[in-house]
Amino acid sequence: MNMKNKPQIIDEGGDKYKYGFVTDIESETVPSGLNENVIRLISTIKEEPEWLLEWRLKAYNFWKTMSEPTWAKLKYDKIDYQGLSYYSAPKQKVAPQSLQEVDPELLKTYEKLGIPLKEQEVLAGVVAVDAVFDSVSVATTYREKLAEKGVIFCSISEAIKKHPNLVRQYLGSVVPYTDNFFACLNSAVFTDGSFVYIPKGVKCPMELSTYFRINAKNTGQFERTLIVADEDSYVSYLEGCTAPQRDENQLHAAIVEIVVLKDAEVKYSTVQNWYPGDKDGKGGVYNFVTKRAACRGDNSKISWTQVETGSAVTWKYPSCVLQGDNSVGEFYSVAITNNYQQADTGTKMLHIGKNTSSKIISKGISAGFSNQTYRGLVKVSPSASGARNYSQCDSLLIGDTCGSHTVPYIENRNKSAVLEHEATTSKISDEQLFYCRQRGISEEEAVSLIVNGFCKEVMQQLPMEFAIEAAKLINISLEGSVG
Amino acid sequence: MAGLVQDIDLMQPDLPILRYWRDRGKKAFEQQGVPTVKTEAWRYTKPRDLNSDDFVLSTSLPIITCSQQEEQIPFPCYPIIFENGIFYSQAKEIPSGLKVMPLVDALFQKIEIQEKLGSNLEVETHPFAALNTFYLKQGVYIQVESNVELDRPIVLINHSSVGPENLFFNLHNVIVLDKGAKAEIVEYYNYNGALKSRYFANIVNEIFLAPCAELQHYKMQNEAFKANHVAYNCVEVEKEATYKAFCLQRGANIGRNETRVLLKDKGAKTTVNAAYMMNGWATLDTTTDVEHLSEETYSSQLIKGVVGGEARGVFQGKIHIAPHAVKTQGSQLHKALLLSDTAEIDVKPELEIFADDVKCSHGAASGELDEEQLFYMQSRGIDREEAKQILIDAYLDDVISQIENENVKTWIKSFL
Repeated sequence: MNMKNKPQIIDEGGDKYKYGFVTDIESETVPSGLNENVIRLISTIKEEPEWLLEWRLKAYNFWKTMSEPTWAKLKYDKIDYQGLSYYSAPKQKVAPQSLQEVDPELLKTYEKLGIPLKEQEVLAGVVAVDAVFDSVSVATTYREKLAEKGVIFCSISEAIKKHPNLVRQYLGSVVPYTDNFFACLNSAVFTDGSFVYIPKGVKCPMELSTYFRINAKNTGQFERTLIVADEDSYVSYLEGCTAPQRDENQLHAAIVEIVVLKDAEVKYSTVQNWYPGDKDGKGGVYNFVTKRAACRGDNSKISWTQVETGSAVTWKYPSCVLQGDNSVGEFYSVAITNNYQQADTGTKMLHIGKNTSSKIISKGISAGFSNQTYRGLVKVSPSASGARNYSQCDSLLIGDTCGSHTVPYIENRNKSAVLEHEATTSKISDEQLFYCRQRGISEEEAVSLIVNGFCKEVMQQLPMEFAIEAAKLINISLEGSVG
Repeated sequence: MAGLVQDIDLMQPDLPILRYWRDRGKKAFEQQGVPTVKTEAWRYTKPRDLNSDDFVLSTSLPIITCSQQEEQIPFPCYPIIFENGIFYSQAKEIPSGLKVMPLVDALFQKIEIQEKLGSNLEVETHPFAALNTFYLKQGVYIQVESNVELDRPIVLINHSSVGPENLFFNLHNVIVLDKGAKAEIVEYYNYNGALKSRYFANIVNEIFLAPCAELQHYKMQNEAFKANHVAYNCVEVEKEATYKAFCLQRGANIGRNETRVLLKDKGAKTTVNAAYMMNGWATLDTTTDVEHLSEETYSSQLIKGVVGGEARGVFQGKIHIAPHAVKTQGSQLHKALLLSDTAEIDVKPELEIFADDVKCSHGAASGELDEEQLFYMQSRGIDREEAKQILIDAYLDDVISQIENENVKTWIKSFL
C-alpha cells in the first residue's frame, strides 16, 4: 500500500453535516435561566392544569438537590444550566388548526430535512409524523385516519388538554422525576413531545414518527414522549433528530416513556443525527436522554432499535423493565463516532417477571479521536424464574487514536436464569479489505461495505424507510475516516 | 483508638522509606475510608464488616504456634510461615540463587528495593493497599536471581489462630524475579481452631518480573467462614516475561482477590485464572485489571465459580489496552453456577481499548446445573447428590486442570 492509500484518520470535511442550516424564523424565547418563575411561565404559556405545574415544581425542587452524574466515560465542558433558555417556540399568534396555517418557513425546513409534513405528498400514507421544532410540536399528520382506529397521536401538550386522565395516569410512571439528574430536569421544564395511545386490540395501521429539530440558539430542548400500548395492540414508532451547526454546545435532555400492557408490542426506532460538532470537536449537541419501557402485562414486548451517528456527547441507555410474565425486551444498537464525538450508551434489562427474555445486540464503530462506551446492565431478580438473556457487544476500531470500551454489569439472583454475554473488539480485518480491493472495490467503498455488514443484524430491525436513511448516514459519518 | 487506623507504635525499626509509606498510606486511607456501595470498585462486595471498630492489630505470635506447618503441605517446598500475620519461620535450606528475608531487613540492606516498593500500588485509589502500607512491617522479600530455576515451589503460609480478640493483620510481600529466573510461589491462608473466628487479613503482594522471567503464582484461600480476607496482587511484567496465576477461594466471609498485571514490554504474557466455591453467606470477589501497555502483549483469564446457600460470587475484570499497544490479544471468560435461589452472581467484565489492531474478547455466563445431565446420571444409578457433585467438580476442573505443577494441582483439588 503506498502512502496515498494510507488510511487518513481525520475527517477533513467535518461540515458534511447537511442538516446544519438555521431556519430564520421569529421565535418566542423565554429569557435564559432556570427558576420557579420560568417553570410557572412555561406552564402558563402551555395553559397547563394545576397538577402538572405542581409536579414540575416538585421535580425542580428535587433537581436542586441532585448533582450531575460523573460515572460515564465522557469529558465535556460544564453545562451552565442558568445560561440556557428553557423555552423557545416559533412565533405564531394562534395555534395552527391545519397544516395550511403553519408558517411556510417551518414547512420549508422540514422539506429540506426530507420530512414530508404535507399529507398529500406522502406516498399512500405509510408514516404519520409529529414534528417538534425547538420546544413545540408544529404539526402532526394523518390524525383523522388514526382517529378512526381510536389511535391517539398528538403533541403531549395537546394530550394534556384533551386526554388529561390518560396522561396523568402514565406520565412519570416509568421514569419518575426522581430517576436521574437529566430526567429530573426534563420533568421540571419539558416543553413538548409526542403522545401516543393505542387502544385495546388495535394494530396501528401505519408507522408513527416524530421529528425533532433544535433551531434556536442557546436553548435546551427538553421533549417528552409518552407511548401507551393497551392490551393486545401494536405500534411501530420512529424518531429522528437534527440540529443546526453552531459553535457552542446545545443541550438536549429528553425522556421517552413507554408502557406496554398485556400481549401488546411496541417497536421503537431512533435515528439520532444531532449535529456532532466540527472536525476539531467544536460545537455539537449534548444528548442526555432517558428512555425506558415497562412491559407491564404478560406476553408484552418492547424492541428498541437505535442508530446513533450524531451528537458531540451521547448519554443514553434505553431500558426495558420486564414486569409481566413471558415479556420480551430487545435492544439493537449501532453507534458510530468520528472526530471528537463521545458516546456512552447501552441498555438496561431488568427481569422481574417469570420466563422473561431479553436480547442485546450492540455494534460500536469508533474512528478519528472519538471514544465510545457500551454500558449495560442485565439484572435478574429472585422472582424472575426462567429468565434468559443474550448479549453481544462488538466494537470496531478505525485508526489508533480512538477508543472503544465495554462495561457490562450482570447481576443474577435466580438460579434458573441463563445469562450469556459476549463482547469482541477488533479492527477491520486486512483480509476482508484485501479481498474487496482485489475485486476492484475502492478502499472507502470496501470499508463501508464491511461496516454495513458488521451492522447488518441491527439494520435489519429498522423499518424500511429508516434502514435506507440509516445506511446512508453510516457512510456519511465514516466518510474521510479511511483514505 | 479503635477502628482500622490504630495508634500503635509501629515506627520500629525506623527508616525514612518506612516512614514515607506509613504517612502516605495513612493519609490515603483516611481520605478514602472503608469503601461503601457507592465505591465503584466495591459496588458488589460490601466490606461493611470491616467498618466495625473491634479489630485489634496483631502484634505478637500466638502462645501456641502451629509448628507443624510444613507437614500440612504434602509436597516438597521451601516454606515461609506466618502466624497471625507475624513472621514465624522460614525454610532452613535455601538454595543458592534464592534470597528470602523479612521485608524490613531487605529495605535496610538494599536501596533498589526501596525504589521498587509501592511503585505500582496506587494507594490513593486502593484503600486497603493504603491501609496495608500504613502498617508496613510484616512480610517477606523474595528474590530469585538471574537464570535460576527453582526446583520446588516457595510456599507462603499464614495461619490464623483464634484468640479472645478479633485480630487484624497486614502482610506485605515483595517478590522479584531477575532476568530469566523461573519460580513457583504458593500462598496458603488457613486458620486454626474454631471455624467461627473472625479476623481480617489484609494482604499486598508486589511482584516484579524482569525480562524473560517466569512466575507461577498459586493461591489457596481457606480462611475461617467469618474471617475477612482482602488481597491485592500488583504485578509488573517486563519484556518476554510470563506471569501465571491461579487462585482458589474456598473460605472467608468476605474474600477478595484482586490482581493487577502491567504488561510493560513486548512479548509480556499473563494468565490470570481463578475459581471460587462457597455456600453460606460469603461474598467471594475476584477482581482483575490487566493493562496492556506495550505492543504484542498477551493475556487470558478464565474464572469459574460455584455458589450456593446465600453466597454471592463477584467478578470484576478489566482489560485495558493503551494507545499504540497494537497486536495485543486479551481474552476473558467468567462462568458461574448457581446452586440455590438465594445465591447471587454479580459480574462486570470490562474492556477499555485505545488501540485498533487488537483482538479482545470477553464472555460471561451463569446458570444452574443442567437438569438433563443430572437426569442422565441418575438414570444410570448415580444418586442425585453425587451426580451434582460430579458435575460441579467437572465444572471447576476446567480451570483447575490448567495448573501446571502436578503436586500443586493435586493439593488444590483436595480442598474441593
